Amino acid sequence: MSDRQLADWREHALKLESEINKVVVGQESPIRLITTAIFARGHVLLEGDVGVGKTTLLRAFTRGIGGGYQRIEGTIDLMPNDLVYHTYLGEDGKPHVSPGPLLMSGEDLSIFFFNEINRARPQVHSLLLRVMAERTLTAFNKEHHFPHMLVFADRNQVEKEETFDIPSAARDRFMMEIPIVVPGDPAIREELMFNPKFHDVDALVGTVEPEVLEFDKVNGIARIIQNSIDASQTLRRYALDLWTATKSPELFGVQVSGVEMSRLIISGASPRGVGMLLSAARVNAWLNNRTAVVPEDIHAVFHETIAHRLVFSPVYEMRRTEIARELLSGIINGVSAP
Amino acid sequence: MKTALAYMQKILLQCVALCLLLSASTALMADEIRLPALDPKLAKISIVEPERDSGYTVGDLLTRVVTLEIKKPYKLLDTSLPIVGYEKRYQGQIIGIELRDISKEEREKADSTVYTIALTYQVFTRNVVAKPAALPPEFVKVQGGKDIYEYRIPSWNFRISPIAVFGEVKLETDLSPFRGPVQKTDKQERIILNAALVVLALAALGLVYILGVHAWLPRMGGPFARAYRELRKLGKLPASDETLKLGLGRVHQAFNASLGSSVFSGNLEQFLQQKPVFAAIRHDIEQFFDLSRRVFFEQSDAQQFGAEQHEWLRRFTRRCRDCERGLKPEKQV
Repeated sequence: MSDRQLADWREHALKLESEINKVVVGQESPIRLITTAIFARGHVLLEGDVGVGKTTLLRAFTRGIGGGYQRIEGTIDLMPNDLVYHTYLGEDGKPHVSPGPLLMSGEDLSIFFFNEINRARPQVHSLLLRVMAERTLTAFNKEHHFPHMLVFADRNQVEKEETFDIPSAARDRFMMEIPIVVPGDPAIREELMFNPKFHDVDALVGTVEPEVLEFDKVNGIARIIQNSIDASQTLRRYALDLWTATKSPELFGVQVSGVEMSRLIISGASPRGVGMLLSAARVNAWLNNRTAVVPEDIHAVFHETIAHRLVFSPVYEMRRTEIARELLSGIINGVSAP
Repeated sequence: MKTALAYMQKILLQCVALCLLLSASTALMADEIRLPALDPKLAKISIVEPERDSGYTVGDLLTRVVTLEIKKPYKLLDTSLPIVGYEKRYQGQIIGIELRDISKEEREKADSTVYTIALTYQVFTRNVVAKPAALPPEFVKVQGGKDIYEYRIPSWNFRISPIAVFGEVKLETDLSPFRGPVQKTDKQERIILNAALVVLALAALGLVYILGVHAWLPRMGGPFARAYRELRKLGKLPASDETLKLGLGRVHQAFNASLGSSVFSGNLEQFLQQKPVFAAIRHDIEQFFDLSRRVFFEQSDAQQFGAEQHEWLRRFTRRCRDCERGLKPEKQV
């Protein structure tokens, strides 16, 4: 039965991918990674320059997944209670309290979209920590559950004014941090520039077939995927070596240009991080119609699941993106399997 | 009277002897009168000296060619040229250098005359150790109108060397006139030279071996060659899943060592780009990674591995080794 379910759901997942690829062109790799995160039940943080299509991409996924969708914009004066409730004066002239974005859809909340998360204060990040980790929230003397909720967030690292760094504990809650870059293909660039279809985002997102997935059944299939896709002893040893290498890359002969390796890493990948890595690798194997995880499945998600979890010495933080890319490529090249 | 006559004879003889002595000394004084030196602006001299300035011994000839250019109307007097056979002296002592030959050529130019004088001297001295000597200066005379001037051709220093190393030859023990000249033996030096050449050859061989990454010939002893040797040893063990895993792991190591980083099926293209000699067996390499995947990662009870896979792996590794050596790989059976 589960084999049949896995095959059917794979069809759905691939259809969702193709729907998104129709409206967001030249982003096949990020779309595959977000699909992977959805079925691995992991939160996603998109990072990229202004206007590269981060929000469009997430809105398109939201439409394809279905379920309750809430969105909030990160601003410097946003407070945690703005996520939970808001007050207003009603027509009757009396104050009213209505649920905020987190509570509005109740248990049907499928996607919580946090736009420009790095503009929100650390207090807001703190609230989000619990919601992301436990998918629960206590408000109005009641515990609210969001079993189907995924947090999609985006941030741009170009602007530094009136922004707050997301602490490493909050970053660790995200399964993936996916970089979005402008497509390099000149034909795609020309299409983005001259085809009016891509200029009206609302209309564009509206072309995505709604509710390709049944949002309330994704948790179930995700469990089946994790239980069905095998990981051999050799692969486990390989994954353990990768984990060790994120803490002590020098043991595997990994070098990064201009970096003193013994002083680079303060903290490597967390157990939660490598757990998410394997969950994502299993989903990648399933999407590629395999019954077991192979090293290539880990490679496909390694950078996006690990890079944002590494804590570097402050002296190297300014070159974080460049160093993380070179370090993780070095780890993949330096650790062998079998 | 007779005594007075004898006394006068004696006085007369003394007077004659005194006159002769005075006339001889006057002639000698006239001969030693130095002429005024020629103005250096009127003559240019260049000398080609013998090639070496040491190692001469008795009997050796030394030739120096003096080119003297004298402005007109001044002319070199041929009578002032040195005389062949004259034994050169220094402070009255014979120095053992004798002029053996002299030749002179003249060439007229518009405002000068060029004299090329070749002087050949012979050494008639020797010593048991090296000693300094010199071809002596020559003084020639130049006439301009009624006046005569002197011009000095400078001396040239050299060293006279002994015929044999001092103390090495004892002529009193070997006076046979039939023996040739005594030569110094070089036997010991030749032995040392040969020994040094042997050491040099061994060192060069060792260096080649080290620079060749512990291989005697280029492209030998590469990662796949080593893996193939180990697989042949493994082939002597009974075929099992464990030996197959060991063999596959060994070939993976060879791939990693060949590229310098881990090779997976995902970066096979990168491997083939950097190692194009393996492109000929691309299909086999893909088969290898497929086999490795089934053995290491996608195990299932339905899959059985046996001697066939072992044999295939051994042949595959041999083909990789051939590619590594730049040879055409044998066809896969």
